[in-house]
Amino acid sequence: MKKRFTFILLIAFALLANMSLVSADMHDWWAEAAAPYAGETIRGVSESTPPSNYVADVLAAQFTELTGINVEFETTSWDQMYSKAINDMEANTGIYDFVYIEQDIIYSYLAQDYLVNLTQFAADNADLAYEHYDESAFTSFADYFKNADGDLFGVPMEAFVKVYLYRKDLFEDADNMAAFEAEYGYALAPAENFDQYRDNAAFFTAYGESMDMDLWGTTVQASTGHPASTYEFLESIGPSFGLYNWGINLDAGSAQSANGGSLDGDTAVEALSYWLSMLEYAPPEATSSTWDEVASTFAAGRAAQGWVYGENAAWIATDDSRSAVTGNVGVRLPVTAPGVIEAAEMGEGYIGYYDGGAFGIPHSSRNKEATLLWLQFIGQPSVQAEWAAVGARITHTATFDDPLIAEQDAKVDGYYTLLEEQGPLFAGAPPFPFHAQVREIIDPFIQRAILGELSPADALSQAAAAVDEELSRLGYGM
Amino acid sequence: MRNPRTGWLLLSPTLIILLLFGFAPFLYVLFVGFNQWNVFSADDGLVFNGLDNFRRLVFDADFLHSVGLTTRFAIFAIGSEVVLGFVLAQMLTRNFPGKSLFRIIHTLPLMVAPIAVGAIWRLLVIPGFGPAPFFLDRWFDFTYQIGSYPDQALWTAVIMDVWHWTPFVTLTMLAGLSAIPREPVEQAKVDGANRLQVFWYVTLPFLQPVLLTTVFIRIMDAIRTVDEVWMLAGGGPGTRFTGIYIWRVVFPRTDYGYGSSISLITLYLTIVLCWLLFIAISGRRKGEVE
Repeated sequence: MKKRFTFILLIAFALLANMSLVSADMHDWWAEAAAPYAGETIRGVSESTPPSNYVADVLAAQFTELTGINVEFETTSWDQMYSKAINDMEANTGIYDFVYIEQDIIYSYLAQDYLVNLTQFAADNADLAYEHYDESAFTSFADYFKNADGDLFGVPMEAFVKVYLYRKDLFEDADNMAAFEAEYGYALAPAENFDQYRDNAAFFTAYGESMDMDLWGTTVQASTGHPASTYEFLESIGPSFGLYNWGINLDAGSAQSANGGSLDGDTAVEALSYWLSMLEYAPPEATSSTWDEVASTFAAGRAAQGWVYGENAAWIATDDSRSAVTGNVGVRLPVTAPGVIEAAEMGEGYIGYYDGGAFGIPHSSRNKEATLLWLQFIGQPSVQAEWAAVGARITHTATFDDPLIAEQDAKVDGYYTLLEEQGPLFAGAPPFPFHAQVREIIDPFIQRAILGELSPADALSQAAAAVDEELSRLGYGM
Repeated sequence: MRNPRTGWLLLSPTLIILLLFGFAPFLYVLFVGFNQWNVFSADDGLVFNGLDNFRRLVFDADFLHSVGLTTRFAIFAIGSEVVLGFVLAQMLTRNFPGKSLFRIIHTLPLMVAPIAVGAIWRLLVIPGFGPAPFFLDRWFDFTYQIGSYPDQALWTAVIMDVWHWTPFVTLTMLAGLSAIPREPVEQAKVDGANRLQVFWYVTLPFLQPVLLTTVFIRIMDAIRTVDEVWMLAGGGPGTRFTGIYIWRVVFPRTDYGYGSSISLITLYLTIVLCWLLFIAISGRRKGEVE
């Protein structure tokens, strides 16, 4: 017994010694590789999101401590982030050394040759290549940031899907279950189709009213002063009805049904009509809500169910200081129309938005080498799990198996498992090199439909015509 | 005899800065305004397109709508600020208890950055969370949702602007009122003029230069309003003013050519508006004197 104990002790000691040696080696490598750049400051810009804030608050400080390279990381609003990054890259001013590249804008950036080919750049600077950074360790989400040759242009820093969240405490309440069954003739449960979603929404809105509670049936990301409403319709609601690629046929260069598009087609009109009808069951802030406010609404316990970006799932489910519904958050796939899941499984469609982004180095950067070190630092396996637990984002395949994530998965009702197993049913934005330009054209029509100034059919018909006009102006039209 | 060269030498740094940062960008915008230039188009270079951008904006319903909204915003905001500012300035020419404290509190909004003003008002009026919709609903059963009702968004923007800028008008009016000599006022009273006549025939003519300058500054500010309103309502229906429309065209849409042409037309409209106002006010009074 004593021998066995001594043996175990020796093994443990050896492991600890080995770990500390490896750790010391890693420290040495970062310090040595960064020595020529110590004291330099690299600057970046991103949207203020849970994963970005973790970068700003935690990872940047760790990197500076290891390398002596300072990281000034600006987390700002979504609109400002784009403006600042694009202006800097277009004018070649070199203010930013790394920029956030949202999945949907990568095609525009690549078309303009704004970004450094990271695979090539690392190969050209072998002395800066960190051995534990491996491009093949990323999930397939990284493919969105690669060119045809498989070279990477952005280090994925967040990836998540927009899921269906619901309040377990409300859905599993015995009185609610009985009342719902008595009224609708079937059991109260998280929605699996749009009719059920509507019944749930109507039931809980009426319940909130009868109990004089601030509770409504659903979230709706329907801001009339922000593109978030267009995004919810085109990237979440539309696909779940079978409207893909924003209804734009890139080959035909048109969004109009008459010319091969589908933005004004029956499926699109049905999807928009359904989504707008949900406003009846949404809290009053819905028409002022972007993705942030939707998450806040759900976290405040003001909605029984809703479409919520996955990056918020972890804090809503676990952070008592910010959320009133911790421990009561259920996670499911968003509801879909018949045939949509099957189409997604066959690779002929998708059920919702696989969102996320990466950090890339603009050609205009004056500190490319130091920034390459930084991007490898945030792309290495050892920082992924904690980051994923805080920001509900996973970019490394191995992170799914980390014990920390397994523990967090149970608290978030299997969100991470859903992301791993059913993530392929979702898809990123279509490969448009004119993403923001066309979305800006569609925005006013969706906003006027929300306000009731246009019917869904009129809004989409006018939007499709305006999109075609803009495509033509941009040189991508018929 | 003074050497004019010395004067020009002393002026040259200012002139160079003005040329570099004032005139050169204007010339650049003028040049871009006559080109088609969108960096995300298939052909991302500048293509001279003559007056196409200007022709396009005449038929651009969104632009015309934004001009209409901006005009309504400017009329109501500036009108209210001038009236309120004058009344408050008159009040401040007299002594009353707590005058110093009132003056400080009244001037405080001026010191707040427009973006912060927008943020404060957004927190006040955001549906579901803000105190204004809550109490309006609770006390008056009034549904106040700036995201759902464009008119409410516009009026909220007007009230926010009045809250922010009335102190500026008050201060300029106060300076103007303080500079009016007492003799003409006393003379008018001796001649039997009532308070309205004193105001119309004595005070107002003396205040005219201050009033004109204040109104010009406020018109220019109102037409280029972006940050406050952006924070308040994101430039949605009801608050998509010309400045915000230009921002949207130039930045998210990256349509630099068209955005430049709209900027030029907006500048032109501002100048014309100020000129018409100048003629209307100074011309009328000149006529009266004659």
